[in-house]
Amino acid sequence: MTTPQARRGGFLLFVARHAIGLALAIMFLAPIVFLLLTSMMTSDQTLTADLWPHSWHPENYVEAFRRTPLLRFIGNTFLYAILATGFMLLASVPAAYALAKLRWRGRNLTMILIICMMMLPAQVTTVPLYMMWANTGLTGTLWPLILPMLAGDAFSIFLLRQFLVTIPDDYLDAARIDGCGEWGTLLRVILPMARPGIAAAAMFQFFYAWNDYYGPFLYTSENQENWTISLGLASFRSLHHVEWHLVSAATLLTMVPVIVLFFLAQKAFVQGVTLTGVKG
Amino acid sequence: MAAIASQGSAGAVRRSPRRPLVVLTFIGPALIGIAVFLIYPLLAAIYFSFTRFDMFNPPVWVGLDFWQYVLFDDPTVRVAAKNTLVFVVLMVPARTVGALLTAMLLNAMKRSRSTYRTLYYLPALAPPVTATIAFVLLLKPGTGPVNTLLAQFGIEGPGWFNDPDWAKTSLTLLALWGVGDLMIIFMAALLDVPKELYEAASLDGASRRHQFRYVTLPTISPVLLFAVITGIIGTLNYFTQAAVAGSVASGQVTSGSGIAGTFGYPENATLTYPMRLYSIGFGNNLFGAANVMAVILFVVSMTATIVLLRRFKAFTGSGS
Amino acid sequence: MHRALKRRTTLVVGVAVALTMFSACTPAEAPKPIATPGVEPTGTVELWHFFTDREAKALDDTLARFKAKYPKVTLTVKGGQDDAKVTTAIGAGTGPDVAISYSTDIVGKFCAAGAWVDLNPYLQRDGVDLTAIPEVARSYTEFRGKRCAMPFLADAYGFYFNKAMFAEAGLTEAPKTLAELSDMAKKLTKRKPDGTIERAGFLPLFGFYENSPSHFAPMAGAKWLNADGTSAIGADPAWKALLTWQKELVDWYGYDKLEKFRASLGDEWSADNAFHKGKIAMAVDGEWRMAFLKDQAPEVQFGVAPLPVLYASHAGAGYISGNVIGVSRTARNPEAAWALIKFLTTETDSIVELSNGIRNVPTTTAALTSPQLHVDPAFQVFLDIFANPNSGTTPPSAIGPGYQDTLSEFLMAWQSGSKKDLAAGLADVDTRVNKMIELAG
Repeated sequence: MTTPQARRGGFLLFVARHAIGLALAIMFLAPIVFLLLTSMMTSDQTLTADLWPHSWHPENYVEAFRRTPLLRFIGNTFLYAILATGFMLLASVPAAYALAKLRWRGRNLTMILIICMMMLPAQVTTVPLYMMWANTGLTGTLWPLILPMLAGDAFSIFLLRQFLVTIPDDYLDAARIDGCGEWGTLLRVILPMARPGIAAAAMFQFFYAWNDYYGPFLYTSENQENWTISLGLASFRSLHHVEWHLVSAATLLTMVPVIVLFFLAQKAFVQGVTLTGVKG
Repeated sequence: MAAIASQGSAGAVRRSPRRPLVVLTFIGPALIGIAVFLIYPLLAAIYFSFTRFDMFNPPVWVGLDFWQYVLFDDPTVRVAAKNTLVFVVLMVPARTVGALLTAMLLNAMKRSRSTYRTLYYLPALAPPVTATIAFVLLLKPGTGPVNTLLAQFGIEGPGWFNDPDWAKTSLTLLALWGVGDLMIIFMAALLDVPKELYEAASLDGASRRHQFRYVTLPTISPVLLFAVITGIIGTLNYFTQAAVAGSVASGQVTSGSGIAGTFGYPENATLTYPMRLYSIGFGNNLFGAANVMAVILFVVSMTATIVLLRRFKAFTGSGS
Repeated sequence: MHRALKRRTTLVVGVAVALTMFSACTPAEAPKPIATPGVEPTGTVELWHFFTDREAKALDDTLARFKAKYPKVTLTVKGGQDDAKVTTAIGAGTGPDVAISYSTDIVGKFCAAGAWVDLNPYLQRDGVDLTAIPEVARSYTEFRGKRCAMPFLADAYGFYFNKAMFAEAGLTEAPKTLAELSDMAKKLTKRKPDGTIERAGFLPLFGFYENSPSHFAPMAGAKWLNADGTSAIGADPAWKALLTWQKELVDWYGYDKLEKFRASLGDEWSADNAFHKGKIAMAVDGEWRMAFLKDQAPEVQFGVAPLPVLYASHAGAGYISGNVIGVSRTARNPEAAWALIKFLTTETDSIVELSNGIRNVPTTTAALTSPQLHVDPAFQVFLDIFANPNSGTTPPSAIGPGYQDTLSEFLMAWQSGSKKDLAAGLADVDTRVNKMIELAG
């Protein structure tokens, strides 16, 4: 059916796409390569103009583990990231559904207020919020960072709401005719259909918690039992010196789980397509 | 075309549940969140903006003193505010367009997609401080690999983060480099565009550009709106990368006594509004002034958001 | 339901607001009367400090001796804390009993607000002789008559020069005056044929490495604040003389050329440090630079000296700063907390041990001259700078380092040439600083 010209055009397009794709990939990969090279250097070579290690020191990775209880920190970080993500979804998905697909008074105002939750700079909210948590006696633990997620997260609610809005109402009406309540509709119809959006929101929350430094430092710096990885990374520094080779090694090590997770989580997007494609 | 567009995006909300309590079961936790994490800190910020508060003793009411200071007496606040507005103008469109283009490029690929996707997301996945240090050192004038490479082609590279005329552009490049998060959102949104809409459009003989304009854009417009609004809010709060980039470029990756000493290098070109807020409030102990700045930032963000929500409604004729 | 919802929200908000006002308004606890002399300190003490790693271990060694000496005191130690965290935690009532800060910037605020208690009653009761501490270190640990902190080791800033380059240029001694510094800097500078700088004798830009107005001020004895806490910058002719000298040297190189040269230099805290690499022949730096040079660039032959000065009468000067330690007003056992501070900051053995372990300058006369102190001739130069009455520091202020930041900001515009009127610029700095001080109360 296809003419040779069309096939050649398709081929050229393929080449062009991959040329751009590869160029961008190299650009995006540069920092990781930089970290990898730095993690193999001696302490003295880090941050110098020589980006290629004079001698290779894979033992830096062992040293990073020996110097701090990284495994414990990784465990804490998982706990924080998983609970925060789970709680966030529990509260945010229903809220986003109510904002996108239910009709009630005050809906637009609530939407704006939720967006407003992102607008106060953390530098300022820290003071009253820390005082609040100090009154509960939960400072020193990660709970002041996890528990608020039970009320949902503004960024995620907004994101999910924008995804749910794109789902045509016909699907919901069909479910209603089938006798589903609102919760039933959410669980049986919306949840499967909105999987790409939910997966994206969950990933952002997880990665945010994973890399969060400011929050864990504020609430747990005095209690090493509850430190996260980002705090552990900061311990490779003294007043006038940072051991960048160890920081880089530990950074890469802690990125591995999230990269794997991301690679696997991509399935959620692909499944999203097939389900959305089915239309009654 | 119009029919297709309105089918893709949400029509009028038609459902009204019989029992309002049901709504509360959906939105209740979020309402508590609004009270505790918005209303309470906001009221606190407004209150503190009229007081002198040292964090140890009861706040002392000083009326409009700090408002007058921030609005009229501190020229650095104006420099920082101007820089931040420039960042909004540069970064928000750059990141939105950049993310959409890369998302479309990746969606057009077939088998290698998941590998590319992971690669493109890497900079957004790395801890921001480490990623910023790496980026600034790669662009270091004189000895950095980028300028060394440019020199091979006989091009004298710019001063990047060391040149006040280039520093904002360099930070925008850094922001573009971490575009992976937004790219993921757009990819998910693009996958949500029902295939039959494209099929219908191509049967009508619509060109690719027309398909993008009349099928893709309207369907993903809610997500586009999300990207623009969160982009503006995020850029108005832009702090970490600018602070770290300034300190690395000035040649002091770890300055012993905190980071405020290198804020804004070179020549205040990278000093953002939240950085000034931080140094006034916590460096110079004028907590009241920091709260004035926070309230102003809040009002600006909210105004921009409401205007955008209205405009978008008019533009797409659909789901705000 | 709508009204019910509204009511509930209002309730939650009300409770929340009440909560802030309560917690923010925790009234200052009435000062506890101090014990009579000779009472043995008991109870728990929690110490927060910023040290990590090797430095934290050195501190732990000394703390072990404290534990042995005061068996009834239970000491808990938390390292790696920073000032912002300590401030937030003390403010919320969850802070430490004793804290060590790396910066004198917090002294003004902590003394004025009473976050750290006045140690004068304890010092008087126990008959501690404060004159054993050089005046400069005493000055950065008190504010408005309250001594709320004690110096915990110090940093001294002096002058480094590359001996090999000096020999090559026929120079033997470090410059004693700023005029000599300029002459030597010009002599030691090398340019490429196209005029770009290849090596700078001295890189005079503020903002480069340790070049800050605070570190340069002792060169001219320039004064920061008046006795009443207001800015002395605009009225002190020493600032004008110092800054005029600096601008002249910048212009000799050409500001753009200097900035370009600076951008090509390695990071201060890496082995590529310009002084290590022979890119600059002279530099202002802290005593810790010696350890880095020995470790990362052992081939560099360097000499150290006090800062070059404007007038011979200021000879021997350098910049002094240090760590500070204080007792929180929320301390559960102030006597035990005080015992810890007394042990760490007034007992010669402890100070010497800490100085040897952490490699900072000890802070009492007895410790400075102790035979147990590890000293080599180069380190002795910094000990002398510390003890020299011409040395200066940055005084505590209610606005922390606000007065230094404001001057620094003007100096960026001054050295680049975008602001040319020095007197007007410094007067404007005065106005801005005084406004901030007035607002800080």
